[in-house]
Amino acid sequence: MKNVTSGETSLPVAKSFNWKAYFKRYWQLYLLLLLPMTYLLVFKYIPMKYVLIAFKKYSLVQSLGEMPWADNHGFQYFIQAFHNKDFLNALKNTVGLNLLDLIIGFPIPIIFALILNELNVKWFKKTIQTIAYMPHFLSWVIIYGLALQLFAPATGFVNMLITNLGGEAVPFLNDPHKWVGTYIFLGVWQSFGWNSIIYLAAIAGISPELYEAASVDGAGRFRKMWHITLPGIKSTIIVLLIMALGNILGSAFDRPFALQNHLVMQNAEVLSTFVYRNGIKGLQFSLTTAVGLFQSVVGVIFLLGANWLSRKFGERGIW
Amino acid sequence: MKKRIVAFALACVMGLGMVACGGKSSGKSGGGSTGSDELVDGKFKETKHITVEVYDRGIDGQSDPINNMYTDYIKKGMLEDHNVEVEFVSVPRWTETEEINNLLASGGAPDICLTYSFPTIQTYANMGGVLDMKPMLDEYGDELTNLNNWLGDTNIYWNLKEENGNLWAIEGKRANNRRILTFMRKDWLDKLGLEEPKTIDEFHDCLVAFRDNADELLGKDAKKMVPFSISYDAGWRAALLIESQMDPKITDKELYVNGFDDRKLTQKGTKEAVKILNDWYNDGLIWKDFALYTAGDSTEDDMMKAGYVGAFQHNWDYPFRNGEDSIQANLKRMVGDDAKYVAVDCFENSEGKTLKYVDSTAGDRKIFFPATNEEPLASLLYLDWISDPEHIKYLQIGDEGKTHKILDDGAIEVIAAPQGSKEIMNSGNNIDYTITCNGLSLGDEDLTLLSLAHSYPGSDPADVEQAIEYAATNTKPDKNEKVQEIVAENGMGEALRVKSEVAFDTSIVAKPADFDKVWDAAIEDYLSSGGQAIIDERIQKFEAKYGSATTIEE
Repeated sequence: MKNVTSGETSLPVAKSFNWKAYFKRYWQLYLLLLLPMTYLLVFKYIPMKYVLIAFKKYSLVQSLGEMPWADNHGFQYFIQAFHNKDFLNALKNTVGLNLLDLIIGFPIPIIFALILNELNVKWFKKTIQTIAYMPHFLSWVIIYGLALQLFAPATGFVNMLITNLGGEAVPFLNDPHKWVGTYIFLGVWQSFGWNSIIYLAAIAGISPELYEAASVDGAGRFRKMWHITLPGIKSTIIVLLIMALGNILGSAFDRPFALQNHLVMQNAEVLSTFVYRNGIKGLQFSLTTAVGLFQSVVGVIFLLGANWLSRKFGERGIW
Repeated sequence: MKKRIVAFALACVMGLGMVACGGKSSGKSGGGSTGSDELVDGKFKETKHITVEVYDRGIDGQSDPINNMYTDYIKKGMLEDHNVEVEFVSVPRWTETEEINNLLASGGAPDICLTYSFPTIQTYANMGGVLDMKPMLDEYGDELTNLNNWLGDTNIYWNLKEENGNLWAIEGKRANNRRILTFMRKDWLDKLGLEEPKTIDEFHDCLVAFRDNADELLGKDAKKMVPFSISYDAGWRAALLIESQMDPKITDKELYVNGFDDRKLTQKGTKEAVKILNDWYNDGLIWKDFALYTAGDSTEDDMMKAGYVGAFQHNWDYPFRNGEDSIQANLKRMVGDDAKYVAVDCFENSEGKTLKYVDSTAGDRKIFFPATNEEPLASLLYLDWISDPEHIKYLQIGDEGKTHKILDDGAIEVIAAPQGSKEIMNSGNNIDYTITCNGLSLGDEDLTLLSLAHSYPGSDPADVEQAIEYAATNTKPDKNEKVQEIVAENGMGEALRVKSEVAFDTSIVAKPADFDKVWDAAIEDYLSSGGQAIIDERIQKFEAKYGSATTIEE
């Protein structure tokens, strides 16, 4: 701040940045920013110091500083996790289920948004939209209740229908492989409507002139979809894909926990339920914090990787 | 100007927020500094305050678990007798372990905690989160007459660790040492002209008859017929069958070594028992959907109440519990006056005896004080007060005319309190409040037995009597090994419990041809996930204490 220039009215630029004038002008905005920053600091950053538990022998009554370091230079619990076949199985299931979710669940909201966009009857479009959003607001416990009523082998509606028609009951919920299908199906059903909102918003932002020009040139409905709508929402799709990839090792807790049962555990145990069972219920806090940390680190690597790739291919990325 | 005011106000709000966040810091606290010199005639000079855990069973129409006639009685009594204020903290019954874990981890556990899970207590004790009761009992033991009389050294010192003299928890007492029984629809047996079964084969024949006569028994609901029902926790729900296949001459050592899984997963003979269940399942004798429901789900109870279930195994008084909402009372209302479950006793072992493995007077609920308890003496006095036979009696039967009446033969019959009243008992005989006593105890053995049959409003006392009798026939009580702590068990309880349930469930539903493969794989998984390490350590520590002996002398 050596060369303070006075009397400048326009915003100072990089070379001779006038901090004083800048803050005098914008301090209220920064003050407003303070609230969300405080929130992040208190609830997101300060608790982060407890990831240290992953490297320490956790004790209920000692403070973080007092807990002794774990063996093997603090990495004892990571070694233990990777020797635990349940963890490895949960890891495999998490990646598998999330990949399936991504492959099947990611395109469906896009397709749904494209279809909705083509609908011209307004009330019909609104009705469909509302119906599609609704499952998003149901808790997974309720969805499992519905699933039991529909798909249970003896008392489920669908299976009763099948057996009454002379078929054999399909073990939607109790066969480990079929369960995966049910899990993905229910997940897609619950979220595709809600996830399509952001695409609809992006589509709404495309200039109608483009469509008019295309019509003049004789483009049909699918041509317009392919050459205008999709490119128009490409950057939105990429951003969401990056976020989804960042979550490839993450897993929501309530969905797998509510849907799993003892007959399908081999495919249904994921990292979040593993952490719950062994950490919260089994009191192995250090081990499960290590698992959680591992999950986060891999998630960040995926996120950064996807972002880097997307920039490489000329897209904007999320930074 | 306006903008500035808004900004200033926001800044103030944030400032307050920061102060509020930073304000609370919980320090460590060991045992309190109370001494018996603070007591005058058993009363504290200054009023003390303690918190006590109580289960919330979440039953429709229950009274508030922390504020009802019985909590009032305890609060009043404790204040008058010891000048101690009691506050109850409710914990959901079906997720008690998780809930207590959370409360302990956050330093907010009640001063007096109870749980069925000793491993939970042990884990927290290892972290320094539990008070050692031994020194307290050494110091104040003489003043705890009721506690000593009621629990005796067996229950008080059951968990005493010989290697270091620690006592992390004392054991509440089972007043009635009965465990599990088989129940069957008496009206169905009568309709089909069948006798009550006396052997497993006869039991099986009854199930087949139920299945084959579903049209006659259930009419248009024939498809809903479930001859034998199990649900979540299949190992427990078929315990009598499993135990009947075990070697009757099993040694104490063998029983202990394989005893970590109390569903007897790794005992010899269990595989044969599960094979029987597998056959039954594939023959359509067992509820097809049983494995899809989770603990606490009431679907199976509802099926029993609606009259679709022919037979099941459960706690010896299960169909009689909950008064007018009991399975028995509902069945009568929904199906007809003659519809009812009766106890049968038919799972005979290779010696032809219907042996039942029951617990000792201990091994039930464990009471412990977390390290955050600053009033250990007041807490001990609470346990003493709650163990007074008079107090137990009152809590279990309430007021004459309101919650019980006295019959001609002197038996005390519990009557259901009016709906919505503060007198409603949320647990049978209020066992959730008489934490040192599980089961009816009226201070006089004969009166207790006589009254026990009458303590289930909504059920015929004769049916309860039959259950009482069968449940006490051929019992084999558990013994206290008192070996050193098994380190390999730490933190494994939940993971292995799930493995055990997976083993039972997947084997029962396996195709008959796959049974061996499925069972062996599940057992292999259980053992390699820590089960074997526990067994090995149990063998080693048992032998360290008893040498080559295989029997525990008590």
